[in-house]
Amino acid sequence: MIQMPVQNKNNLEHILAEYGRERDNLIPLLQEVQEHLQYLSPEAIRLVADHLDLSENDVYGVATFYTQFRFIPPGLHHVRVCQGTACHVRGSDMILDAISRTTGIEPGETSEDGKFSLERVACFGSCALAPVVVLDDKVYGRMTAAKTKKIIEDKK
Amino acid sequence: MGSISLTIDGRTVEVEEGKTVLQAAREAGITIPTICDHKDLNPYGSCRMCVVEIDGVRGYPTSCTTPAVQGMQVTTTSERLTTLRNRTLELMFSGHPNSCLVCPHREACEKYRPKATKAARSTRCGFCANREECDLRTMALKGGSRDLYLPTLYASYNLERDDPFMDRDYNLCVLCGRCSRICEKIHGKPAISIINRGKWARIGTAFHKSHVHSGCTFCGACIDICPTGTLTDRFARWQGKPEAEVPSTCIICSEGCSVIAQSKGGQSMANIMTGFNPEASLCALGRFGYAQIVNSSQRLLHPLVREGEDHIPSDWEGAIQAAIEGLQVCVGATALVISATTTREDRFLYTQLAEHLQATLLILPAEAANDDPQIREMVGAVQQGKIRGLLTNGDFLSADLLRAANFSLVIDCLPSTTTSLASIVLPAAVLSETGGTFRTAVGTVKQMAASSRAPGDARPEWQILCDLGQALGSAAFDFSRIEAVTPLVSDDPAPAAIDGDPRQNVRELIPRFRGHLLADIVPALAAFGLPATEVAAVEAVTGAGFAILEKREIVPNMHFFKIRAPQVAKFAQPGQFVILMARETSERSPFTLVDWNGPEGWITVVIEEVGRSSRELASLKAGERIAHVSGPLGLPFPIEKKGTVLLGGGCYGIGAIFPLARALRQAGNRVICTIEASSAYLLFFEEEFRAVSDQLILATKDGSRGVWGGVQEVLAQVAQEETLDQFIAIGCTFMMRMVCEASRPLGIPTFVALNPIMVDGTGMCGACRVSVGDQTRFACIDGPIFDGHSVDWDELALRRSAYAREEVQALSQTVDLSALIYKPESDSCGCGRK
Repeated sequence: MIQMPVQNKNNLEHILAEYGRERDNLIPLLQEVQEHLQYLSPEAIRLVADHLDLSENDVYGVATFYTQFRFIPPGLHHVRVCQGTACHVRGSDMILDAISRTTGIEPGETSEDGKFSLERVACFGSCALAPVVVLDDKVYGRMTAAKTKKIIEDKK
Repeated sequence: MGSISLTIDGRTVEVEEGKTVLQAAREAGITIPTICDHKDLNPYGSCRMCVVEIDGVRGYPTSCTTPAVQGMQVTTTSERLTTLRNRTLELMFSGHPNSCLVCPHREACEKYRPKATKAARSTRCGFCANREECDLRTMALKGGSRDLYLPTLYASYNLERDDPFMDRDYNLCVLCGRCSRICEKIHGKPAISIINRGKWARIGTAFHKSHVHSGCTFCGACIDICPTGTLTDRFARWQGKPEAEVPSTCIICSEGCSVIAQSKGGQSMANIMTGFNPEASLCALGRFGYAQIVNSSQRLLHPLVREGEDHIPSDWEGAIQAAIEGLQVCVGATALVISATTTREDRFLYTQLAEHLQATLLILPAEAANDDPQIREMVGAVQQGKIRGLLTNGDFLSADLLRAANFSLVIDCLPSTTTSLASIVLPAAVLSETGGTFRTAVGTVKQMAASSRAPGDARPEWQILCDLGQALGSAAFDFSRIEAVTPLVSDDPAPAAIDGDPRQNVRELIPRFRGHLLADIVPALAAFGLPATEVAAVEAVTGAGFAILEKREIVPNMHFFKIRAPQVAKFAQPGQFVILMARETSERSPFTLVDWNGPEGWITVVIEEVGRSSRELASLKAGERIAHVSGPLGLPFPIEKKGTVLLGGGCYGIGAIFPLARALRQAGNRVICTIEASSAYLLFFEEEFRAVSDQLILATKDGSRGVWGGVQEVLAQVAQEETLDQFIAIGCTFMMRMVCEASRPLGIPTFVALNPIMVDGTGMCGACRVSVGDQTRFACIDGPIFDGHSVDWDELALRRSAYAREEVQALSQTVDLSALIYKPESDSCGCGRK
């Protein structure tokens, strides 16, 4: 019988092993850990800190400086709403509001059932398509509150 | 390294190569303002106060991070630099409460209120524990501009008290980073760091853990290096600036760390590190616990002599006489059980006494308990009657041992089982109350300094031993000063080192002091897992008390309560007050009724968090119960049709004038209300007042909204426009006094609600006695509202501050241990919600 390897999500040994113990490795290491876990858990921060012989508090301080790092697990469907200038003038506020009302979560949160998470983004670089919503890496352009509600409802 | 020369403000300055421009300027005696810079920290360049102009260098470099270079031409003072620095200071002040700096009444207020108010969160200098030592304030008052054009963006962070020793108010933080930088310097891996970014940036820990779990060792360096009032030692927070700082030695354990003992008015405040470097690090006990041991309210104050079942307080002469009578009977059959937490001189004298009494001498290590092997070995001898007399200086002797002995003498500082059963108890001055020398575990002899006064009749042990020795007729105890004993002590062995390193790990603190459990003396130590004697919990009476229907912190420190109290609501009238007790054990404190509804059976009050009792109330939540609500108390204010009435409310007084305004308007008066606060974000009840007044005028001490100033400025304005027939002002004593002075020359009948210390509220105790005109009145039954022009304000202020010291001491004892329980993130689903 073939034994399937047990995938322990929290086992970061293989990632840590790729990096030396120099402080310079902090951000690439955090990025790779996040890619693996989808977020940075307290345990992951602790392991990274131990690996680089830093204080957890410092690692957390660096990680919270960058908006790319998240500290709560994302939902099954990750919704990103552009709040850049072009999207803003074309009503992205109302889109964000519509998503909040449909999912019951504010930007930065994950819904209690774990289905959705919401994030506000400064710009996707697709200003011609403003306002833009990105759902699970798929770009939806020229959105309205109603259209956004529909794509969310479809994923429910 | 060679030296270089540069020109600063036209002066040629010679400095060692490698110095910064700032250091070069300082060496030349030129002052450049700084905030984030500290002599014991590396240059950081974050505050931008130390900007200078350098010929050939573009812009305005920070002198703290710019290396001095041969031939550099530096200008430290120019109009442009002053403007830049003032703008920088202003930016810092936009995130740091500052209304007191621009308040038109600042000088009078500081004269009248020399001590800052013990608020929970600081919302201005007058509410800040660090007022006397704030670098920011000093800088603003010294040369800087006091014209602040930027609005104050109050962060509204909660006061953080989730660790045993610190109060952390990040509303005052200017992010200079001194705290996290010194933490890193001393401990390598800092327990705090700057987290988040932009306007959410703040000092914090990973995932907002309590400091108890963030790796903090509680050395207190961050508190001592903080330029603002953000970080404070909870025990010393409201005691003000230390008056004396004396080098001494902590002798709680055999490490014998060098300390700087801070004291004020003969009272120990704290021990701080001798320098900001890793070698000078202190443990939580040495830094914070020490002052709490010395200042413990349980301290033994008088000699006690047993008569039958009772301990009778005695004078020293009588107690020493009784002691030697007891000891003389046991010569040759006595044991001395002595804690090593004593000076070398004390131990020398104990040895002499043991020799004189032909007694056995046991020296116990600092952390010893009553089951120490040395004591266990002695039990047999006591039971067999070979040892009949016992002398100890701590809680080391079990009840059985004491009962088996004929005579027992305890020389100690705190009560215990041992003292309760002893024949004689002599109160000892300890730690910072005594001089002498101490030999540390590594053998170094260190000097101690007596930096605080012993409580009651307590005396240093060496003095007690000399008195005993002399009374026993020995010539070997003829010393009048401890320094005379020191040269005689030689060859004393170094004590054993303690297990663990409490300076690196707070969970390795020793659990005992002279046999007493430290967590019994300093309850907050239980947070580190130190054992404490179990106290039977007082059973809460469920269902009793008065339900809190609604509770909100409407503005920082100001709590709105809606309480179910049908009997009070049924009979309440404007101007009356209630006395509240948060718990059965709380103090009674009076609060003016803001609103009530007889048929629905509720009352409302506004409580300002400025001391222990109000903090106990403020910690209650909707759904919980207040133990007692007594009222309505006091005389209702006579509501009559006078014509035009002006009502002024400040701070909690904003709530208090509300029912008066409503009733006066219903009685047909033209009602003008004015509410004052130090800044716009502290104003409340605007909507409520618009509904009950003909005109509402806002006033702020920093001019951020409405009239710049307070009720007195509004009064002056209104009085010019129309005739006022009545004026009522409610607020702090200072405010009421000031407005009365303003209304007196205008001849307007003025009423104020006095706020003296009150106990029962029914005219029995007399604590609330006030002088109004030539009469002595009780604020509780003759007031609280009196003619403001007849009040003896000086007497009122004096009586109100009668218990200032006790009020401060009462504060530090309240520690909510349940808030210290660490809830790991994994307990939640991770979605960021509760």
